Amino acid sequence: MTDIYIPATSDTPEINFKFSSNTLSMSGEAYPENGVEFFRPILRQLQSHLKSLNGDAVEFNFKLTYFNSVSTKVFYSMFELLNEYAKAHPNSVLLNWHHDEDDDTILELGQDVQEDFTWIDFNAVVLA
Amino acid sequence: MLDQSLLNQSRAGLSEIEAEYIASSLLRICPPVSPQQTNLEVTNLLNEHPDLISVAVIEDNKPIGLITRNIFMEGLAKPFHHDLFDRKSCIAFMDKDPLIVDNNMSIQELSFKVLGSGRKTLNDGFIIIDENGDYLGLGSGEDLVKVVSFLQAEKNRLVTESINYASVIQKSFLRSSREDMSAVLQDYFMHWEPRDKVGGDYYFCKKFDDGFFLALIDCTGHGVPGAFMTLIMASFLDHILVEDNRHDPAGALAIMNKKVKLALGQISQPAAEGFDSDRFSAKRNGQSDDGMDTAFCWVNTQNNTLTYAGAKTPLFYIDSTSSNMQLMEPDRKGVGYVDTPMDYEWTNQELLLDKGMCIYLTTDGLVDQIGGPKKIAFGKKRFSALLQDNYLKPMQEQEVIVMQAYYDYQGKQKRRDDVCLMGFRY
Repeated sequence: MTDIYIPATSDTPEINFKFSSNTLSMSGEAYPENGVEFFRPILRQLQSHLKSLNGDAVEFNFKLTYFNSVSTKVFYSMFELLNEYAKAHPNSVLLNWHHDEDDDTILELGQDVQEDFTWIDFNAVVLA
Repeated sequence: MLDQSLLNQSRAGLSEIEAEYIASSLLRICPPVSPQQTNLEVTNLLNEHPDLISVAVIEDNKPIGLITRNIFMEGLAKPFHHDLFDRKSCIAFMDKDPLIVDNNMSIQELSFKVLGSGRKTLNDGFIIIDENGDYLGLGSGEDLVKVVSFLQAEKNRLVTESINYASVIQKSFLRSSREDMSAVLQDYFMHWEPRDKVGGDYYFCKKFDDGFFLALIDCTGHGVPGAFMTLIMASFLDHILVEDNRHDPAGALAIMNKKVKLALGQISQPAAEGFDSDRFSAKRNGQSDDGMDTAFCWVNTQNNTLTYAGAKTPLFYIDSTSSNMQLMEPDRKGVGYVDTPMDYEWTNQELLLDKGMCIYLTTDGLVDQIGGPKKIAFGKKRFSALLQDNYLKPMQEQEVIVMQAYYDYQGKQKRRDDVCLMGFRY
């Protein structure tokens, strides 16, 4: 599986999915007009990459400051994939949820994610 | 010369306007020359017509090349060239491969052709021919730019007029809610600010004998598609409130959910288990996934209670004794979306309304707006703190304070979403 690198734009995040080392990162903002189309190929690649793994540890660094409702749905699908993988291979997925210390909005969204995807090890990280 | 007054008269529709302007709109009648004519004759022609940028060379009415003033004059200006070339055929300095276009070519195709053929065509122009390939005249890059800008402005005007009128319609849909709100509330504000003149944020208020129903709605999307959604939601809501549903906001949300899902065909397909699902395939592309986040409130003015049911939209309140902002947490499913089950049940929460209690509702456009020095969301904390400091002031003053803080916070950042905020004192 080749790695994915997509630079950020004003309404799409930087996506740096290093499948070779199982480290996935996203940062910036996500509110593209065509959110589903933008993210679909990335989701598909993540899905088939996870299929090829057998318990390898996966680390996801999530560093977004804003995402609209369509992007939220997409991210939930992404977490769902990771959650399914972690269910089959317990303790294999670590989600680092980066947020500014004053950003209660992002922190709260993270708490929802933690509550909904119980197989994923959730780690809130305060941005320096 | 391009007839600007003709352009100004155009009132064509969006699709017509493209068809109305073609290469022949740019046609300038310019005298051509034949290969038998000499460079001296061309010199004389250019001197007689100082505004001619180029001259077409035609043979049997078919263009064979283009002589451009600059190249021609520079060519002849070299030492002895007058003596050498004056009596020779004018094809010596002719561009043998100019852009030649049919007079019926669309302006868009012409623009791409002109840009594709490089700078010379923009500077020196192109030849326009008729259906038989016969020479008609010349077109200039300058005129092309004028027409393209005009078409752009005209399209903008049409779209803007259309959205402006859509905004009139959306506002008039809100009128009865505004009237009922002012009838049932004394001290209140309603701040509705769609990002793009029309939008997916909406509010609803309906007065009954025993109280009033209040809803703040955030439909998927913004702009025109968002506004479509608000009209669908508003008409559904109007219909379901004719029965006793008003006393049961959670039940009303459940009915809305079913109605939206059925109307838009948003019924979840049976989930394929595990990793073999095809859930990200483009096949599902055509399915819509639209709905709303909302707070539904029934205010019973006889026994002074508020019943709230929230779909991802909290209710904020400050009671007159504690002066602390408190929150009623919403259920975390939106209404109508594909991933909300058809039989999903929202929950009612009751609040005893003291005299003087302040209630606030807002869509996420306000708290999620990026801004400030750290470029992070405005946040519920900031929102709550602002209101805690100011809740004793008249509601309309509070509106100004919150919105001013919000605009200041947004600063030079782009507006991310529609904003709808309301507050009232009981």
